[in-house]
Amino acid sequence: MSKSKQEPVVLSEYEARKTAVVLARNWAALFLLFLIVVFSFSGGAGFFSATNLQNVLHLSTTFLILAAAQTFVIISGGIDLSIGFVMGLSSVSAAKIMQILHAGDNPVGMTILIGMFVGLVVAVPPGLVSGILIAKYKVPPFIATLGMWGITNGITLHICEGFPVGFLPQLVTKIGNGFLFFILPGKESWMLIRPDGLSGEEIRSLTRIIPSSTIFVVVLLLILWHILHNTKFGQHNYAIGGNEDAALRSGIHVRRHLIIVYTLSSFLAGIAGVFNVFQTGIGNFTPFTAMYELYAVAAVVIGGASLSGGSGRIFGSVIGVMLIATLENGLSISGVAPFYRFIAVGLILILAVTIDQLFPKLISRRAAA
Amino acid sequence: MKNRKKSLAEFFADRWALFFLVAEIVFFAIVSRGFLTPRGIQIIFFFGTSVFLLSVGETFVIITGGIDLSVGFVMGFASIVAAKLIVVFTESGMAPAAAILVGMVLTFIISLLPGLINGSLVAFLKVPPFIATFSMIGISHGVSELLIEGVPAKNLPHLANVIGNGHLFYYARGKGMSIFSRPELERGEHVLELLPNIVIITFILIAVFSFILKRTRYGQHTYAIGGNVDAALRSGINVKRHLVTVYMVSSFFAGAAGVIYMLQYVTGKADAGAALLLDGIAAVVIGGASLYGGKGTIWRTILGALIIATLETGLRIRGVPTFDKYILVGVILIGAVLVDQIIPERVEEE
Repeated sequence: MSKSKQEPVVLSEYEARKTAVVLARNWAALFLLFLIVVFSFSGGAGFFSATNLQNVLHLSTTFLILAAAQTFVIISGGIDLSIGFVMGLSSVSAAKIMQILHAGDNPVGMTILIGMFVGLVVAVPPGLVSGILIAKYKVPPFIATLGMWGITNGITLHICEGFPVGFLPQLVTKIGNGFLFFILPGKESWMLIRPDGLSGEEIRSLTRIIPSSTIFVVVLLLILWHILHNTKFGQHNYAIGGNEDAALRSGIHVRRHLIIVYTLSSFLAGIAGVFNVFQTGIGNFTPFTAMYELYAVAAVVIGGASLSGGSGRIFGSVIGVMLIATLENGLSISGVAPFYRFIAVGLILILAVTIDQLFPKLISRRAAA
Repeated sequence: MKNRKKSLAEFFADRWALFFLVAEIVFFAIVSRGFLTPRGIQIIFFFGTSVFLLSVGETFVIITGGIDLSVGFVMGFASIVAAKLIVVFTESGMAPAAAILVGMVLTFIISLLPGLINGSLVAFLKVPPFIATFSMIGISHGVSELLIEGVPAKNLPHLANVIGNGHLFYYARGKGMSIFSRPELERGEHVLELLPNIVIITFILIAVFSFILKRTRYGQHTYAIGGNVDAALRSGINVKRHLVTVYMVSSFFAGAAGVIYMLQYVTGKADAGAALLLDGIAAVVIGGASLYGGKGTIWRTILGALIIATLETGLRIRGVPTFDKYILVGVILIGAVLVDQIIPERVEEE
């Protein structure tokens, strides 16, 4: 360090460093663009088409919600390993209630609403319990949420007995897989829900524009972004993650805040779980190999957050999710064996953290200059 | 009086895992028939081998203040590598015994590789252990799926099954003791099986590394790094190299668990250890290690692993669905940390 202080830094060099910093900070977004270009060549119209790109967005909905949840927790300096299984718990509970009500010939609207409500409510206790354990009893977040990992998974498998929960109202998947517009070129158009009674020919030529799921997730993410950036709650979140003692001394109610953060994270996982029912039409338990919670951590870290807390952005996490989702989609469309994607995600994650390791050095040198 | 109270609370807080295990055994002995028999006890160890091995490897990493999430998938990777190698060797005309031996040794060596990568990332590139080892989950999972191309490894020699599911001693009335081989029996004759082979292999490995952790300079350095990295660095320990070897120990044990899985189930499976993420780490933490490093012993980890293995076998014998195990392990894990957190505080308050 002392060496760089003595050497006079030429302006052009300073500019070069500034560019490097900008590149390092936005490498994930640039890499995403790069991937889109590469896959557009290797996958052709199969990849770079409105249908496929909308598909990528539609299929990453739950992943986006989980990553947003994880962003809040990671910024506060913790980690939530339970969200993958909380999502399964909500999905299975919501579906189970819908299944029972549907079998009893209840009105469809009521069936769906009660199912949704139950799915969201069951997601609250796991987060509340981990939050209390972490904030009040000083259990390390890793342990508290790993314990909840086992507990929620066990309860989920108990409810569904190891099988997906099916026989739900047809309307469920129609809502979940709806698009803002369905246009039958030259004839008619519909909004949100695909009409019945179309011939196979007509269904194939149906143009779909903007998945409802994407509208939903964008609204949700905007709300979360607003909370994180423009509210006292969000500022406190960064403060606690940056320095818990300082936050405590400056009068932030750290305990209550942390309990809310873990409850929020769990509740968001519940939203993801309920959405999962709408998307697939069944209640899915989370398999061990899915590791949704770890992929969410990966997306958040790729998005530039630090696991030691205090930094991270919702937008960064979204880029992280889209990077992984695009990679998986692009590789499969380009005909690469599915297992390479595990390796690719691992490598990108290492790349992300390595770049982050180089990044502070770039900044500190600039500061020294 | 106050002093005695304090020491009593401390006494229980220190040994709660042991008391818990005893209580657990008593409970299952009462409610599960056939639990407290030589066979029942051997089953605990027989099906607990992976938890024992993974958690002992994890202990080394956790003592240094790190974490290794990849052990479950490195275990799957090793089970596939071992199965593949042994099949290739037998097909090329090697004797089954030689093929298995060479295959096992090679797998042990190959399973050091994930640890070498994890350790280098953590030590030299300063990647947080959580991220480095999660990346290794993806990489080892991907590579193992590529190796088997979606089909479980098969055509392993019969000898693998004999080793994996055999016992060291067999005792049949009138035929005396025989070692390794099951005596020829008439129908209805009873044979007493003692010491499953894989349990012996497991505990030899654990004993060796327990010695290393407790009695050698290597072990002392491991504790030193976990206690205070700066101090360790200043006292001349080569921290970076040491961290790399610690992650190699962990992935070596994951490899051993994979090899034993291969012997036990006579196949290799990519997600053989996917569900063991909880068990492996829980056993170490239940044993009283701290995730902040510097604390933990092999003996206590074994205690933690025994609590989990006993629970699993006890529930199985009772016919309770196995997913209840996850709930209970989760509760015990949280309970373990709570005991560590709350009891010392109370003692101080008194």
